[in-house]
Amino acid sequence: MRRYIGKRLLISVGTLFVVILLLFTLLQYMPGSPFNDEKLTDDQRAVLYEKYGLDQPIVVQFFKYVYNMLRGDFGVSYTISKNTPISQLLQTRLPISLRIGGQAVLLGAVIGLILGIIAAIWHGTFWDTLSTIISVIGVSVPSYVFALGLAYVFGYELRWLPLLYSNDLPFESSVLPSIALCMFTIASIARFTRSEMLEVLGSDYILLAESKGVYGPRLIVRHVLRNALIPIVTVLAPLIVGLMTGSLVVEKIFSIPGIGSLLVTAIQSNDYNVVIVLSFIYSAMYIGIMLVVDILYGVIDPRIRLSKEAPHD
Amino acid sequence: MRNSAMKLVALVLCLTLALTVGSFAAAEGEKVLKVHIETEVQSLDPQVATDGTSFEVIADFTDGLYQMDAAGASVPAMAAETTVSDDGLTYTFKIRDDAFWSNGDPVTADDFVYGWQRACDPAFASEYAFMIYDIALIKNSVAVNKGEMPLDELGVKALDEKTLQVQLESPVSYFYSLLYFPTFYPVNRAFVAACGDTYATSPETVLSNGAFILTDYEPAAASFTLTKNPNYYDAARVKLDGLTYQVIKDSQTALLSYQNGDLDTVALSGDQVELVQDDPEFSTVNAGYLWYITVNQIKYPELANVNFRKALAAAYDRDAICNSIIKDGSAPATFAVPANFATGPDGKDFRETAYTFEGFDKASAATFYAAACEELGQKEFNLTLLVEDDATAQNIAAFIQQEWQNTLPGVTVELKVETKKQRVQDIQNGDYNVCLTRWGPDYADPMTYLNMWITNNSNNYGFWSNEEYDAIIKSAISGELALDPVARWQGLKDAEKIVMDNMVILPVYQKNNAMMTKSTVKGIESHPMALNRVYKNTTIE
Amino acid sequence: MTDKEQIAEIIFRPDDFLLKGADETKLDMNFASQRFWKDAYMRFRKNKGAVFSLIMILLVVLLAIFGPLVSNYTYQEQNIAETNMAPRIPLLEDLGIFNGDETLRTSTGSKLKNAYVINKETGEKKDTYYWLGSDALGRDIWTRTWTGTRISLYIAIVAVLIDMLIGMSYGLISGYFGGKVDSVMQRFAEIVNSIPTLVIVTLLMLILKPGLMTITIALMITGWIGMSRIARAQMLKLKEQEFVLASHTLGASNWRVIFSEILPNIIGQLITNTMFSIPNAIFTEAFLSFVGLGIPEPMCSLGSLISYAFKSFTTHPFQIVPPVIVLALLMLCFNMLADGLRDAFDPKMKEM
Repeated sequence: MRRYIGKRLLISVGTLFVVILLLFTLLQYMPGSPFNDEKLTDDQRAVLYEKYGLDQPIVVQFFKYVYNMLRGDFGVSYTISKNTPISQLLQTRLPISLRIGGQAVLLGAVIGLILGIIAAIWHGTFWDTLSTIISVIGVSVPSYVFALGLAYVFGYELRWLPLLYSNDLPFESSVLPSIALCMFTIASIARFTRSEMLEVLGSDYILLAESKGVYGPRLIVRHVLRNALIPIVTVLAPLIVGLMTGSLVVEKIFSIPGIGSLLVTAIQSNDYNVVIVLSFIYSAMYIGIMLVVDILYGVIDPRIRLSKEAPHD
Repeated sequence: MRNSAMKLVALVLCLTLALTVGSFAAAEGEKVLKVHIETEVQSLDPQVATDGTSFEVIADFTDGLYQMDAAGASVPAMAAETTVSDDGLTYTFKIRDDAFWSNGDPVTADDFVYGWQRACDPAFASEYAFMIYDIALIKNSVAVNKGEMPLDELGVKALDEKTLQVQLESPVSYFYSLLYFPTFYPVNRAFVAACGDTYATSPETVLSNGAFILTDYEPAAASFTLTKNPNYYDAARVKLDGLTYQVIKDSQTALLSYQNGDLDTVALSGDQVELVQDDPEFSTVNAGYLWYITVNQIKYPELANVNFRKALAAAYDRDAICNSIIKDGSAPATFAVPANFATGPDGKDFRETAYTFEGFDKASAATFYAAACEELGQKEFNLTLLVEDDATAQNIAAFIQQEWQNTLPGVTVELKVETKKQRVQDIQNGDYNVCLTRWGPDYADPMTYLNMWITNNSNNYGFWSNEEYDAIIKSAISGELALDPVARWQGLKDAEKIVMDNMVILPVYQKNNAMMTKSTVKGIESHPMALNRVYKNTTIE
Repeated sequence: MTDKEQIAEIIFRPDDFLLKGADETKLDMNFASQRFWKDAYMRFRKNKGAVFSLIMILLVVLLAIFGPLVSNYTYQEQNIAETNMAPRIPLLEDLGIFNGDETLRTSTGSKLKNAYVINKETGEKKDTYYWLGSDALGRDIWTRTWTGTRISLYIAIVAVLIDMLIGMSYGLISGYFGGKVDSVMQRFAEIVNSIPTLVIVTLLMLILKPGLMTITIALMITGWIGMSRIARAQMLKLKEQEFVLASHTLGASNWRVIFSEILPNIIGQLITNTMFSIPNAIFTEAFLSFVGLGIPEPMCSLGSLISYAFKSFTTHPFQIVPPVIVLALLMLCFNMLADGLRDAFDPKMKEM
């Protein structure tokens, strides 16, 4: 087990390395540069290129960057906040995104599971349809429409919750954003739970359990849910990463200083280092969570033995 | 594993706590103005910053030699006394004795020398370096900026601790209006040396000699605060106890916040004006920007044809764009130099006496178009209109697309969307057909526009070239005209007429900003250039 | 009493033992003789929700085809004098609804406005009808909504094809063969997937220029991964089961085992998931419109229409309603249809 995790970690580091290389190459093909401003002349641009080492061959840039990264230096921002070290740019933004994303995941997973279980248990009835409608409505409307709707109703009309994110009220002001964010998770989890539970409910071992007299919540939780959870976790994992790394739309509407809007702005303004660092964080989280999922597989489903074969490599 | 998780939790808690405490700096009952901005501050370093928002914030806590008064005129700030030599080439400034940085150091002549040298330093590559060598015409600045002379040869000297001497290459009629521009702000040499790379990234790494002091800020912050500077030389005039800036990028949320009372002043966009136009709190201010279409004359023969360009310019309805699409009070533009930012020696606005072309006229568009078709021997034209990824700009482009296609049969227009950086790169390199773009004034003189269209200027996106025009501009900068303000003013009008006669650019509109300000708030001074808003005289009842 | 006597007293009745969950109809069916697809079809037809959804989807498709043709406008025709007109429909307007009235919630109070009125005193109205209103450039929203539906349906089809052709096969093959093949394939998927989709899509839009083709390519690069992971997970669950072993023993080829033996068992889950790729794809496109890099004007999709109308959400909320309703309807129907298909395809359902 330990050897397996060690090996996986090593592979993960390799993957991250490839991801950064890919990003470097992609950014190289991106039209424009951070210094394409009306008032900069070609000479000044050349000076700036030299100053930041952007005039060097891509391979050199890449290894320099990785070397600096290993020393904890992620470079500076070129356009969003000029000359600011990215670590400084992220130190308050990352925790905010992680927290709001985390709340959204929690909320989304719980509501999604409940809706999914309801739909599966009363399969084919009115409750099933209702649960489908509730969960699907959430994904039918783009998140920005939903977010602005929430802001309008609860932040402006009713004034139950703050309209804008504020550091003075970190929890209250993150409720609306979390709700706006969790819609897709609710829908995904609910739909997938329903489908998985039905699958499990129709299987022989549940029939056996039932005939052995296991009924009600005990059956659902210990036998059905436990088996249905594996694919659900597979679906949830990437959603977690997506939510924790922020959302442009929700951040824009609630004016949240998170990293989602930072990423999009960085791409649009050719702020290379910011793009790379944020993508790196995303990749690292993704690979990390996938590793955790694999280990969880073993815990949830003893049929899949980690030692025998890596189930989700 | 558990340990690092605990650490993370602790870190998050600490940060949250620190932020919570930090933001309580502005207590209730104080007169703190809550200001809405649409973009984050890009830099607090006066020689690095390039955008209006950054300039505004920098000017909140920094004073230059001069400052802007309510009408936009240049009045002394750090300069207690100014003397100009008779030939207009040497300026000597006495710095106020009661001017101090927030760390207690006096503001000295060397602070200005250092700031101006930074701006001109080729190694520093300040985007606004051209203000020093191209606009202010500081002695030796061109050579210094090219790296051919050392920095201390720049014509800015500290004669003693409080006396600054500036030498120019040739007289600059608008010189005072440059002195409130952030590029010309002082920077404390020792303090920058102590901060190193972290200069101007936090309240601890900036110094204030202005009306306010930065108290809570982090790079690209969504909100930050400034409080009144008790040691400001003119502190008695400043009525506000502080400023709170809130970045809100979505205009609808911004208006809701304003109506909730979270903001004292808010910028509006397009449709929202319909909802608030009857409100006494609603107002529009001149934003200075000229939006125009640049045409690539070097690559496309049809665009090199003046009749074709005139046909294009006359074929779209500018009033409809302003009244039905933008709606924020922006004015149709039939000129190359916008109104209300440059006043001439006659005391009148440049536009009052300058030439204006006829604008939208379908009949004359058809006439020009027929002539162009004849001259070019061509009846079908394909245009690609390049536009930025901004919603309003795309709307306007879609409208112009239809207008061109309907008014000029045979013309087909395709829209192409790019990000700003990409668009600027493409138009500077000439990799475009026609492009909707904009230009904002940097100083109070028509030259801030007219300088663009001289041969080989990097912002002459059309690659247009005209000897007569070049001669006028050259003379107005450093030749005969430079010595005679009245003749120069006339020369600039003639130059603009050449631009319009040749339809070098196709003007679209002059931007206005629509905004709401609480009725209790008075005296926010708005300007179309340099410092968009000044709060030194602002009061809250 | 002795034990024997007790036993003798028990009398068995016909209803002492019943098949669990069985009702008459199912018992009577002879599944063995039916082919898989026919079987599925029979079960699908019984599901009212799914059939209803299918009809609604067909209706939307028909409207997308014919909707723009029945109006007097084209999707790109602007009428700058008639911007932001409220919905007005002949006949219905006489009932007091859809008569072009619009209540503006201004900061100084509500204001009833009818942009169609040309003579305020007589209340005389223009002879123009924008059934669902007009947008900020004076374009007919009815026409644009259905034109946009076409693009969104195209994107939906692309998403399903990508899921089915690329994602599913990738996941099944990777999961089935395991070992080295799986390792390499998963490494590749992991690399593609661990770069944020947004970054890939936005970068592509910038590098290849915004347009429908670029959106398709972007979806192809990013769209298949979710499906491949689910297909693989399902494959891992099933491949050690007895019926697979049996097929192998009987000499079935790998491909036959994957696509004929295992696939039918998991197609239900896969279809449910495909239905999620559709909103994902449509919203990826909507997001691009939101940041200004979607379908270039004057073309539109439901996503770009919503982004466009979003800017007038608090001023002219009627503009956002049609595209949102069509989109929501499509999503709901796709999901209910997926449920129906899932149930229909699941061979185990017959045991219930």
